[in-house]
Amino acid sequence: MNELDLLEDYKKFKQGAELFLNSPDFSVGTTPSEIIYCEDKMKLVHYIPTVEKPHAVPILIVYALVNRYYILDLQPDKSVIKKLLDEGFDVYIIDWGYPTGMDRYLTIDDYVNGYVNNAVDNIREKSGLDKITLLGVCQGGTLSVMYAALHPEKVKNLITLVTPVNFDTDKGLLYIWARGLDVDRIVDYYGIVPGDLLNSGFLLTDPFRLMIDKYVGIFERIECKPNDTACSLRNEETVKNFLRMEKWIFDSPDQAGETFRQFMKDCYQKNLLIKNKMELNGKKVNLKKISMPLLNVMAEFDHLVPNDASVPLNGAVSSSDKETLIFPTGHIGIFVGSKSQKEVCPGIARWLKPRSLPDGTENGKSEKARQVKLERKRKNRGLKVK
Amino acid sequence: MESSGFESTRKFFDIWLKNYEATYGRLMDMPALGPAREKSEKLMKEFSIGVNLYAAGMDSNINFQSVFMEAMRRMREKMATEMEGEISPEKYKEFYKIWVETYSETFKEFLSSGHFASDMGKFMSYFMEFQKHNREMLEENYLKPMNLPTKTDIDEINKELYSLKKTVKELTGKIKELSLMNPSKKGEDPGVHQTEEK
Repeated sequence: MNELDLLEDYKKFKQGAELFLNSPDFSVGTTPSEIIYCEDKMKLVHYIPTVEKPHAVPILIVYALVNRYYILDLQPDKSVIKKLLDEGFDVYIIDWGYPTGMDRYLTIDDYVNGYVNNAVDNIREKSGLDKITLLGVCQGGTLSVMYAALHPEKVKNLITLVTPVNFDTDKGLLYIWARGLDVDRIVDYYGIVPGDLLNSGFLLTDPFRLMIDKYVGIFERIECKPNDTACSLRNEETVKNFLRMEKWIFDSPDQAGETFRQFMKDCYQKNLLIKNKMELNGKKVNLKKISMPLLNVMAEFDHLVPNDASVPLNGAVSSSDKETLIFPTGHIGIFVGSKSQKEVCPGIARWLKPRSLPDGTENGKSEKARQVKLERKRKNRGLKVK
Repeated sequence: MESSGFESTRKFFDIWLKNYEATYGRLMDMPALGPAREKSEKLMKEFSIGVNLYAAGMDSNINFQSVFMEAMRRMREKMATEMEGEISPEKYKEFYKIWVETYSETFKEFLSSGHFASDMGKFMSYFMEFQKHNREMLEENYLKPMNLPTKTDIDEINKELYSLKKTVKELTGKIKELSLMNPSKKGEDPGVHQTEEK
């Protein structure tokens, strides 16, 4: 380190500051899609397939209630959604929206047996299939596990991505903190639990890196070559990528109070799900009812959902066809890191493709029958068919 | 983690709290009398809730200060060994790196302790109780006398609305089942907003 390095750093800072001052335009979630179903604040989004004949069994992605689903489609070159479309899948995702005071009484039962179930039924009807693939992400994975246990007849494959099911672990700070939390007082006061409150919890997991070092780091990444157009473009892209991630991190929807109460108490504090003791509207969630093929995907360095929280799922289900994939990345890296595009998505696709034939069509004989059934169903319901 | 220089602050605060509870605290907890007794008692309750919050806040504050002290101590040690005691502008990057690493590690140790979890839980709990009581007082003493809607009123409406919507959804589901059992009566799905495919 010498005076020249200092000058170089000053230039980087100046260039970075200029880029931020010019507020570069950036967008998220750009993969073409259509909304095919709405219910309250929930929207079912269908991505336009990029191949002429997608694999028959569609995928429904259930994202977490905290943060927004577009992390899976952050930018065209870092998009799990785009990658799955390019692999030939027909992809749907649930957009939970932003709950308001009106939603404070929504329970996990409303989410799982209401919204998820209606989304699944909608896709089943649209595809003419009895079963679809469910891909749950993070907390959305926990909801998907509950759904698959309660409605196994509608789920052909279950994929869980960085999903917690065992909450009795000391490996993640959130699990330790949750034990001492008086959830009732929080929910009784707020009603709708502010997303900002949860965000401050996430930031507290590593305050110096997340609140200081991250912002220093962005200026470090600025390249400093005068009059080099390619370099300027790279700098602009670096800032845009940073802002996309920044937007996602702090775009935190508030949480429906009763759902938050049950999730924190039954899952984080009592760990009922993995013990098959959790109940939704009086119905026991028995993980042994999950008998469909299961792919459990984890991130080795996940600080929010440590592997200890996800691994026990494979032992708790009765599926004979089950597999685990662990990637050397973090909780967010699994969606947007370089490994995501090169290893995670292709890994999921490799597992899913041979399992994406409709039931009874493994030899292709019944596909025609499915098409006829689909046509009949659509006519009966008076829907316009493409 | 070694104990820092905040033990005397903690001791002082403990003595203050014990004295408060034995004197003023008892006065505040005394039953109120007369026509305004209900309102008075509720108002007085704010003092004990406030003191609980203050005590929990002081506890957290002392703990955080201790961690900062510990991080500073570790930083000093590292400076002596890794940077040979030299802090010059040329070494600022190295200094910054060591600073972030040391503080992150020290705080992680503290944040992952059961002690922090229980302290944070206690603080949050008293904070929520304090806020809830404040809101109740606001409703009781300002909004209701002015005949203005309160959060409690809105919550009641929301609960009613939630329950009605749930009933409508259940009935819609049943109508759908019945109409599917009788295909001659075709109709649109009530409650389901089906958009046309583009």
